Amino acid sequence: MSDVTTGILTALGGVGTLAASGGDAAAHAPASGGALPAASPLVLLIPLLPLLGCVLCGLCAAAGVRTKLPAWLTVACLGAAFVAALKMLGDATGGPGTHATIAHAFDWFRIEWGKGPGGVSRELVANFSFYVDTLTCLWMLFVTGLATLIGLYASEYMAGERGPGYCRFFAAFNLFVLSMSCLVMGDNLLLLYLGWEGVGLCSYLLIGYFYQKPSAVAAAKKAFIMNRIGDLGLALGIMLTFVKFGTVEYAELFERIRPFVELARHGRFDEIPFSVQLIPLLFTVGAFGKSAQLPLYVWLPDAMEGPTPVSALIHAATMVTAGVYLVARFIPFYVCSDLALPVVAWVGTLTALTAATIGMAQFDIKRIMAYSTVSQLGYMFAGLGVLTSTGAAFHVFTHAFFKALLFLSCGAVMHGFGGQLDLRKLSGVRKMPGWGIVGVCMLVGCLNLSGFPLLTSGFFSKDMILAQAFTTPGFAAIGWILLLTAGLTAYYTFRVYFRVFEGPSQFEPGDEAHAHADPGDQAHAHAPAGHAHGGHEHGHGQGHGDGHFHPHAPGWAINTVLAVLAVCSTAAIGAYFIDRDHHGWVGRMVDSSTAAWEAPGAGHSGAHAEPPAETGHGAAPGTFLGMDPHAVMYYVSAVVALVGIGAAWWLHLAGRTAAATSRADGLLAAAGPVARGAQGKWFVDEVYDALVVTPLWVLAHVFHLLDKLLIDGLVNLAGWVPRGAGRTASTGQNGLLHSYALGMAGGLAIVLVVALFMVKN
Amino acid sequence: MIQKIQSLWPEIVLFATACVVMVVGISPSVAVRRSCGVIAGLGLALAGLVAIDWPGPASSVVWPALAPYVKVLVAGVGVLLLLVLAGLPDREYEAAVAHGQRYDPIRANRAEFYAFFLFSIMGVMLVSGAEDLIWLFLALELTSLPTYIMVAISSSRNRSLEAGVKYFFLGALGAALFLYGFALLYGATGSTNLETIRQVIAQQRLGSEAVNGVALAGALLAVIGVGFKIAAVPMHFYTADVYQGAASPVTAFLAFVPKTAGFVALILLLTTIGWGYGPSGQSLPEPIRTVLWVIAAMTMTVGNVLAVVQSSVKRVLAYSSIAHSGYMLVGLVAGPGPAGAPFARNGIAAILFYLLCYGVMNLGAFAVMASLERRSRSGATEEADSIDDLRGLCTTRPMLGWIMVVSAVGLLGMPPLLGFFGKLPLFTSGIGAGEIPLVVVLGINSAIAAYYYLRLAALALLEDPDVTPVGGGLSENAPPGRKFAGFICAAAVIGLSALAWPLINLADGAAKYEPRLTPGSAVSAREAPIVPSADALTEPRAASGRP
Amino acid sequence: MDLSSYLPILLLITMAVVFAVANISLTLALGPSRQGPVKGTTYESGMDPFGTARKRFNVRFYLIAMVFLVFDIEIIFLYPWAVAFPNLQAGTTESWVWLGRILFFLLTTVVAYVYGYRKGVFRFD
Repeated sequence: MSDVTTGILTALGGVGTLAASGGDAAAHAPASGGALPAASPLVLLIPLLPLLGCVLCGLCAAAGVRTKLPAWLTVACLGAAFVAALKMLGDATGGPGTHATIAHAFDWFRIEWGKGPGGVSRELVANFSFYVDTLTCLWMLFVTGLATLIGLYASEYMAGERGPGYCRFFAAFNLFVLSMSCLVMGDNLLLLYLGWEGVGLCSYLLIGYFYQKPSAVAAAKKAFIMNRIGDLGLALGIMLTFVKFGTVEYAELFERIRPFVELARHGRFDEIPFSVQLIPLLFTVGAFGKSAQLPLYVWLPDAMEGPTPVSALIHAATMVTAGVYLVARFIPFYVCSDLALPVVAWVGTLTALTAATIGMAQFDIKRIMAYSTVSQLGYMFAGLGVLTSTGAAFHVFTHAFFKALLFLSCGAVMHGFGGQLDLRKLSGVRKMPGWGIVGVCMLVGCLNLSGFPLLTSGFFSKDMILAQAFTTPGFAAIGWILLLTAGLTAYYTFRVYFRVFEGPSQFEPGDEAHAHADPGDQAHAHAPAGHAHGGHEHGHGQGHGDGHFHPHAPGWAINTVLAVLAVCSTAAIGAYFIDRDHHGWVGRMVDSSTAAWEAPGAGHSGAHAEPPAETGHGAAPGTFLGMDPHAVMYYVSAVVALVGIGAAWWLHLAGRTAAATSRADGLLAAAGPVARGAQGKWFVDEVYDALVVTPLWVLAHVFHLLDKLLIDGLVNLAGWVPRGAGRTASTGQNGLLHSYALGMAGGLAIVLVVALFMVKN
Repeated sequence: MIQKIQSLWPEIVLFATACVVMVVGISPSVAVRRSCGVIAGLGLALAGLVAIDWPGPASSVVWPALAPYVKVLVAGVGVLLLLVLAGLPDREYEAAVAHGQRYDPIRANRAEFYAFFLFSIMGVMLVSGAEDLIWLFLALELTSLPTYIMVAISSSRNRSLEAGVKYFFLGALGAALFLYGFALLYGATGSTNLETIRQVIAQQRLGSEAVNGVALAGALLAVIGVGFKIAAVPMHFYTADVYQGAASPVTAFLAFVPKTAGFVALILLLTTIGWGYGPSGQSLPEPIRTVLWVIAAMTMTVGNVLAVVQSSVKRVLAYSSIAHSGYMLVGLVAGPGPAGAPFARNGIAAILFYLLCYGVMNLGAFAVMASLERRSRSGATEEADSIDDLRGLCTTRPMLGWIMVVSAVGLLGMPPLLGFFGKLPLFTSGIGAGEIPLVVVLGINSAIAAYYYLRLAALALLEDPDVTPVGGGLSENAPPGRKFAGFICAAAVIGLSALAWPLINLADGAAKYEPRLTPGSAVSAREAPIVPSADALTEPRAASGRP
Repeated sequence: MDLSSYLPILLLITMAVVFAVANISLTLALGPSRQGPVKGTTYESGMDPFGTARKRFNVRFYLIAMVFLVFDIEIIFLYPWAVAFPNLQAGTTESWVWLGRILFFLLTTVVAYVYGYRKGVFRFD
């Protein structure tokens, strides 16, 4: 009997406490695996505050609030969370030696089933605990900081939606930050997975925010389904990890992976079990889904159907970097496989190139930005793959700022011009009254994205990845492709800038301006929301009355946010020069976290002079045409960027007189099928449709038919049995008191007779 | 004596509140009358707080932590019940008074209704603290008697009266049965004290493997009699008629309060026999085990099978209530396992936790039904009860619809909602006790239950609302508290599943099982006046009667 | 097995059965058996029945009866208490507990009285 009892689930452990008190946290931390010290309970505020914001927004919806209250609540909660994240950073980097700490909120899973060999109890422990190291801090800092800024921006951007929709938007916004903090801060894979699914859900909710628009609903579904494929990989990876290592808690995991890392360091990959090498590959599938890499990237451009603040926060700056985070966090797992990192590097590189080529030929400015996001994410993965997690993390960091800036600037344009996004229908926006700040900020963002030398942080972060690609042996091809991509990036970025913001002032309003005629419909961009109108003395009602459209310049909230972001993305250069020993501030942050596991052998002698040969890539450090890549890459990439910008200037600005035409049109015709391919996004969606969707659809119908004929018959039979029995039994329920009493007495008699017989025998 | 009173503080608070409510509720002033629901709620909440903070000495030696858990549980769910019940009594009469009719306290029922509600809850608390058969009997009846009246006065329809009368007579039959069982238990052991009975039965058993036959018969009768409170086969016949006849809020009350009392009483009664028999030494004596086994299997099967064919939501929920009792009986058959057994083996802890889950989920479903009413052809309003009334509820009334969906899916036991976490320990404890066939029956029944619960959820969620309703339209006419309570329940079904392990740990702590036997004498000093053992039965008893 | 102690019970049962059987059979045997329209009326005394038997009558009768029961039971409990109470040592805890018990009991009766009063049981109009 006892073996049966030990075989079943056994729940042990103390009563979980919700209390965020330090004493409790300290008392529980040792029990939750490893011997990591407890973090300050203040850390718990970071997920707690967005939760509070979410609840408050829900209450606002229930109370029928029709003001901007939810936005201010959101900004306040997220701002406070940002302050808490700053404090967390201070705690994490303040001490003499930087170690990971754990903040325990409450017990979540603690399931034990008997003892394994050696008396070690077999258990699954996954708590609501937060793993705080410098990598966590880095991510949380820009997640909360950008969320606060974009929340402020959205307060104005979404002003036309005030009412239940406004509350819904900000509730989901808060929920996203909560999920993201679970993802980034969780101290175990289950919590990470919860956050992973949570951000997916929020992304789905926010892409489909305009749920009456069929294209938005379709895009939301596409994003959700594409992410499911990736999530399946991640889920399998987590299960395999648990099976192989017996724990899902980071502290334990990084201890148990250590012997394999040692093996890998000496190139003895044969001795590492295949299943351990499989784990990073499965994680990679998840990361590619979430971070929109080949072949799962197609959902991200469509996700631009969501409101622009969502595109900026979720689909450019934060959520899509979750995949990068996953790989960076589990670098020790990746070095255990001689296949995983090259896969990551190559897929990232090819994605960067593909997305850049598509971006060159698109006309929708938000979509161009979406493809540039995919492309830049490809850079980050390439960086991880060529073993510069510092470069990747730095690029994540700078990209978060400048891409948010770019999206928000595009959003301001879209907001002001009635939803117009076609770069052939807008021109010279910068020179229009009230649009100066947006123009300058857009310029800053574009310079960053194209890697304009010296003045921009994007230049330094991209450079780090490029140089490392040439340094790490065997990856020179990747370096060349990335270099080419950098030129393309500079071209398509400035194509947008020169077409939309420079040149003669012309515009054609978007659909939403026309839709304004029918009352109560999609008038969100133009409802009298109290904007400053930048010198226009007449309001919109008037403007539409005479059948003309007047763009309205952004108000103070949007302008402030744009200016702050512009300053931040430039100031991020400083991070590169702060701590040169560690390749900058970000480098130091990465080096003192788990993402730096490949580093110990590298020796930290100024630059990455010595490649991590121990990790199995063998051979001497690579060179760039015989020179030290780190020394010359500054100049090379600067030239490439300038060439790209120059090409854009020549094709799209010089001598352009109208919004719709440019010198590039002729070129486009000359390029023929190539241009058409790029414009049609290389027909990837169509190929997926033909290869995956259609066969599945046919198969589904076949199965449906089988199901109807065979399974339904069986199920109906199974359903008929209890129903028939019920019909029979319900004849006894005739509503008569005495027959009920008789039934009770009869039942009693039967029971007693049975019992009597049992006692007799 | 004084110590005993300390453990009764929650009951004392409730009693005082009931006295106040009874007098306040018949005040000629409307405002004062209205306050009695609030007073009742505050008293209940206070009683719950007192039960948390002031457990007093353990009333049961074997279950030292049982009483506080049960008291807090009924007080907590009781507050939600009260929110659903509020506004129910005297609805028509108060409307008439508002239109100028003179207020005649003799025709009003409000005061009695709330007072009886409190008395009934107090009865459950007393059951959990019972240490004597007479106490147990009185407490069980204190739980039930007010419910008979509450059913009768819950609405002005004749059906409620009919239901009340049926419930009363059949309840009396049940009470007679378990009282007879108590008498036999006393006859077999010479004591009415539960702890003494346990010790005596254990000592009588030392000689032979079999249990004293009279005690066995007594326990069987008592179990079947108490089975009325939990609506177990064969004492289940009343359920559907009474549940349907009573107003929905009262039905919600019936489905939780007497059931809790019944299960706690069953736990205390079966403790006297003890789970110390069978090949593993951890199950009930064979006759009782078999009877309970059959009752459990029959109860869930009959409940589920009957629920499948119903077209009235309240009848569906009534029969499913029978089925849920059957599920919990599995925990009783499994027993607490060896002392200090882990949670997954402790069937009693599983019952205590399931009571919490069931109370919350069931109340959510009933709150929805109580908030809806239908205007019949004659113009009178009546409760919505047909299963078609749920059609498209998520579209027409999203909040009620979603509460219904969450509650129904929770009751079905779908992970990751609360019902799943409730059912899981019942399964594991059954498996741990080696009752595999019973667990299989439990599994099959869960599948049958899916049919009608999913029907409730699907009607509300997926179907289009009726465009041309039969009779009059559906309307929502309920005090806001009712919807709020439903919302809380639905939120709890989702939210508590995240806290499932801490709650399970609480239930596990409450079901701490310490089946110690006092060596030598079976009697402690406190119980000295009571005849100590079976031998004493034959001795003349005149001595104890003299002053 | 000694059954002699059950003899009185047996005696009692016999007496009850004999009494019942004897009464019925004697009535059948000795009584006159006349049938007729007058014999068949509701009241043999000749009074004509009128109205329906399900007539309503003042419910206060029951209420008064119930209130009476409350006080009746109070007396029944008070009496044995009063007899036993003087036997207790004055000033001991036990005596205080006994006093407290009866006071609590009286309090419940007072609540019942107040309730009845407010309910209007004692008003006859």
